[in-house]
Amino acid sequence: MLGAVGLTMTYGLSAFPNFAHAEFITLGAFIGYLVAEQLGLGLPLAFIVAFLVSGVVGFLCYRGVFQPLAKRGASIIHLMVASIALGFILRHSIGAAWGWHPLYFTSRWPAFDLGAIRVTELWLWIIFAAMAVAFVMHLILTRTKIGKAIRATSSNPELALASGINIDRVIWITWFVGGGLAAIAGIFRGADTQIWPMTGWDIILPMFAVAILGGIGNFYGAIVAALIVGLAENIGVVALAALGLSTTYRMAIPFLILIITLIVKPQGLAMLFRRA
Amino acid sequence: MGLYFLDFVVFVGIFGIVALSLNLEFGFAGLANFGKVAFFLVGAYTYALLSQIGIPFSLCLIAGALVAAIFGWLVSLPALRLRADYLAISVLAFGEILRLIVKSEIWLAGGDWGMRVAPVFPWMGSELIYRLENIGLVFVCLFICFVVAQLLANSPYGRVVRAIREDEIAAEALGKDRAKYKAQIFMLGSAMAGLAGGLFAQYLQYVVPGMFMPMVTFTVWIMVLLGGPANNWGALLGAGLVELFDRGANIAKDYLVLPVDPSSLQYILFGALIIFVLFYRPQGLLKESPIKTKALELARYERSVAKDKGS
Repeated sequence: MLGAVGLTMTYGLSAFPNFAHAEFITLGAFIGYLVAEQLGLGLPLAFIVAFLVSGVVGFLCYRGVFQPLAKRGASIIHLMVASIALGFILRHSIGAAWGWHPLYFTSRWPAFDLGAIRVTELWLWIIFAAMAVAFVMHLILTRTKIGKAIRATSSNPELALASGINIDRVIWITWFVGGGLAAIAGIFRGADTQIWPMTGWDIILPMFAVAILGGIGNFYGAIVAALIVGLAENIGVVALAALGLSTTYRMAIPFLILIITLIVKPQGLAMLFRRA
Repeated sequence: MGLYFLDFVVFVGIFGIVALSLNLEFGFAGLANFGKVAFFLVGAYTYALLSQIGIPFSLCLIAGALVAAIFGWLVSLPALRLRADYLAISVLAFGEILRLIVKSEIWLAGGDWGMRVAPVFPWMGSELIYRLENIGLVFVCLFICFVVAQLLANSPYGRVVRAIREDEIAAEALGKDRAKYKAQIFMLGSAMAGLAGGLFAQYLQYVVPGMFMPMVTFTVWIMVLLGGPANNWGALLGAGLVELFDRGANIAKDYLVLPVDPSSLQYILFGALIIFVLFYRPQGLLKESPIKTKALELARYERSVAKDKGS
């Protein structure tokens, strides 16, 4: 969910899907690993540094590649290809720097049983962080000037520009925040499973499912959609196991949701959250 | 070295077909197919499965193309009426899922280890003859695809497709069913990719899921963008150049000592190349070819006649 929020925001604001978003996640995980494990400075600092680094990279990607391309009149397809190309550059740079062997965070999380389910403290932290981010983002989007500017630009860029909003700055900030949130998602993902240069790519498709189900560019839609996709995936795994099918098919579940959304309601859940 | 060159020629032929098919979809119709590899995979596995039960190779190749076309139709169905990005995401996802399926259904396709594929030409005891035979087969297929693509590009049908790419609403206002045209082009493109997949499988004589990574799709995109979208010669040129670059990098790897992992560097260069092309030459090396029609030729002829009279 943390990753998808950043994705849907940049998607909505710049009107193209950024496939390099996967690499912001990966980069975040590796920066977190660098700070927490290789430099031994602890996790809290890792989150902050990863947020900043991925955020800056996100900003630079937009400022350096997508914005000039869009200004030259590139079509949405060109922008998508550019984002994939950028993704390759980032992913393989990461691969060249850290290698392709999976890395693990060494910190152990205490676990306890909740009924029949084994819960680790890490999961509680992830849930807590997701809720905290959702809450903070909600406050920013509704209470602050920049948040209102983001929403205005997202729904009608020309009108926002005419109202004296600096659109470029709003989009830059969104890309920064989007990259930063992706980094946090990456560290959690890395701590929960493993880190390798494909970390982000492994979860980019469910994230697109979330972004489309939630309605592109819609923050609240993305939160609800993340819940739905996450639940469906986990229920689906149980169902798959019961049916005797390979659980690697869990990736197919978000895809199914994506297809159904496209057929039934391409604008996603956005209609439930018409902004007042 | 000579053998290596022949191998290169076969690859250029196979990927030339895929590049032509993407050129049809992206260049002429403006469809963003980010899952080209999925249809390549369908063709390859269809060929592999059918050839195992002893069906002659020509039927296997055709079946591969047909099955790929059907998949293309099914996948494009939900997304064709929507914006280009929805199609891109859903086809990309489809490719990943398909790779997962052939990976996990071991009874069907051998899982991670893949399966052996019977070659079209029996082993004659010489690598040279085998490769020359394959060059013949691949280039006959390439020629057929090229002729189809050229005819299509210069036909009234091709003009409608280009019109839809330029302005969907205007084309629809003229009574052209854009979803129908797009679905047809998508099917044709998928069929070509399926054919190429079959050729690929029989040439290498084995298939494994690892061959069908998203990188393949991306490589074909580079070919089309570099060579020139909406120009069939451009697609072929792009296929040749990208393969050349790929091979060159592979050879250079053995001679150069670099501080970074050379295979990573190759991908980084590919990425940088594509961004460079998008920035400085979005129309590719060869520009979109003007449409050849009888009316245009006639008009040109009359103009030249008129000029002659005037002078």
